Amino acid sequence: MQNIQQYTSRIMRHIRAEWQLYLLLAPTIIWFIVFLYVPMYGLQIAFKDYSIFKGVAASPWVGLEHFYTLFESEQFMRAIKNTLILSGYNLLFGFPMPIILALGFNEFTKAFFKRTAQTVVYLPHFISTVIIAGIVMSVFSPSVGVVNLLLVQMGFDSVYFLVQPEWFRPIFIGTGIWQEAGFTSIVFLAAIAGVNPSLYESALVDGANRWQMMWRITLPSILPTIIIMLIIRIGNILEVGFELIILLYQPSTYETADVISTYVYRQGLQNAQYDLAAAAGFFNAVVAFVLVLTANTISKRVTKTSLW
Amino acid sequence: MSGVSLSKMTKRYGIVEVVRGIDLEIKPQEFVVLVGPSGCGKSTTLRMIAGLEEISDGTVKIGDRVINEVAPKDRDVAMVFQNYALYPHLSVFENIAFGLRIRKVDKKVITQSVNDVANTLGLTEYLERKPADLSGGQRQRVAMGRAIVRHPKIFLFDEPLSNLDAKLRTQMRAEIKRLHKRLKVTSIYVTHDQIEAMTLADRIVVMNDGRIEQIGTPMELFNNPVNTFVAGFIGSPPMNQLNAIVNDVDGRLVAKVGNSLITLPKIKALANSSNREVIVGIRPEHVLLQASATSSPIAIELELVETLGSEALLHTQIAKTPFVVKAETRFGDVSHLDKVTTLHIEPDLIKVFDADTGMALATAIQD
Repeated sequence: MQNIQQYTSRIMRHIRAEWQLYLLLAPTIIWFIVFLYVPMYGLQIAFKDYSIFKGVAASPWVGLEHFYTLFESEQFMRAIKNTLILSGYNLLFGFPMPIILALGFNEFTKAFFKRTAQTVVYLPHFISTVIIAGIVMSVFSPSVGVVNLLLVQMGFDSVYFLVQPEWFRPIFIGTGIWQEAGFTSIVFLAAIAGVNPSLYESALVDGANRWQMMWRITLPSILPTIIIMLIIRIGNILEVGFELIILLYQPSTYETADVISTYVYRQGLQNAQYDLAAAAGFFNAVVAFVLVLTANTISKRVTKTSLW
Repeated sequence: MSGVSLSKMTKRYGIVEVVRGIDLEIKPQEFVVLVGPSGCGKSTTLRMIAGLEEISDGTVKIGDRVINEVAPKDRDVAMVFQNYALYPHLSVFENIAFGLRIRKVDKKVITQSVNDVANTLGLTEYLERKPADLSGGQRQRVAMGRAIVRHPKIFLFDEPLSNLDAKLRTQMRAEIKRLHKRLKVTSIYVTHDQIEAMTLADRIVVMNDGRIEQIGTPMELFNNPVNTFVAGFIGSPPMNQLNAIVNDVDGRLVAKVGNSLITLPKIKALANSSNREVIVGIRPEHVLLQASATSSPIAIELELVETLGSEALLHTQIAKTPFVVKAETRFGDVSHLDKVTTLHIEPDLIKVFDADTGMALATAIQD
């Protein structure tokens, strides 16, 4: 008891001494509490037969019933599968892209060319997802889309890409890369900028060419950054671009496009099954949490780099 | 073994000239130290020789080959960097082997060469470690190992010891010297530390403001600095410089410093001077505390005595100009130094410089 008192008084002394820092921290903490921790109270409806009229507290407990329902539902299993597949592809193709871009930018010697190229690839990041989706729809439109016009020119039949389930994944992954790869490359460019320039000079005197320098110096030097980004990425593996999917998918492409978050959205908001949606969301969060922990632990063991 | 020859070598960044056309001949197996204050162009000169900077004008030859347009890797030089430039992700072995691996040398040869070098530098037990797990001196040795292992024609050192503490610096300095004695590879060494220059160099090149002020052996520079800059740079503490007015009194040159009159050595350029302004240079080591038959006395104001053990530095003022004297203590006792009010100066040990140009006026001995 006394220990706890001593401990609290020490913390209070610390806060009083460093109150300016805590003041700066306050908005973030408040944001976390209001938007992330308070809503957790509502999580309990995942285990209740929730009714808007009875309220969260008064709704009766039903245990794991919603989870049974979910795992027996073909739609939910399909959503899990699609989430994993889309994320997997995203990781496979989307993750290396910014690194390749950053390495490429680093090789440009003309400042003007480098700046222009960087601006061109950063731009899509600043466009709203709704507009991105609009652009994608018009580019792939069967009648006026650039892609189909080209196909017809070359003598092929025009394809209605956005209603065909087999085309959804490439289009979604490609759009994601187009939108974010450039901007994400800034992180890697910053890491590259941090590499001690005399390492390159030393390698130059030792006889390394640019290719060897990239493989033997740049990449190993930014490996810690790559790993941190990979951990974050793996932690978010279950969060595929919800907005972009909602905007691009249609019932005909649900087969490949419906993911957990869109499923939750449809069940929860469109069908008003809040408790079932909460259960799905909760499942998603727990799996994501486990994934981050695992990735971090593995990374700490293997490369001595970790988030915490 | 090859020498290096620089001719009118110039480096310009835009309109700013940082190296202003220097000429330098370095003989095979010679150890040459480029020394000068920050920004004097010494590192740039070295980097141009290494090929890390383009040469704006003039030529560089290694042996008989002009290497202006030759890629750094084909110049057959090895460079040791100030911050060691070790690859943090590679072990000591791989760091030393890097240059050989890049050149696709046979694996067995690499192992053999790296082990030899590690043996030479006392790194054998650290071969598996990463640079982060080494001390400063060990890292420095790895950096040298990386240069040695390739058996280059020329070693280039860019302030290799300035990140080490004083004790380690002295130790590594001796090690570099020993290594050069054994390997006899032409070496160019850049430093701002004149003690390193004095102790390591066969010849020292003093640079200032992109130009070479003087080239010579350490003792030439110490004894006969060509101008006030070199006089003020070489020596620790450096040469004292006093403004003085010279008069030729019946064939005897007398300099008036404050209220004291100092007899100068015979200098042709000063014959028949009347009220000529000069700078009188006196080394801290060349001052006598007791009068001799030929010395002239000079009044001082003693400010501070710094004891260094067997020696002490007297910080004094002569005519409001700081003047440092190096004197021997009596087995560490400095009580006799606290009472000094007059110093005595031997004419032959005085250097005289022109007050306007700062150039040395030749002494009688050289005439």
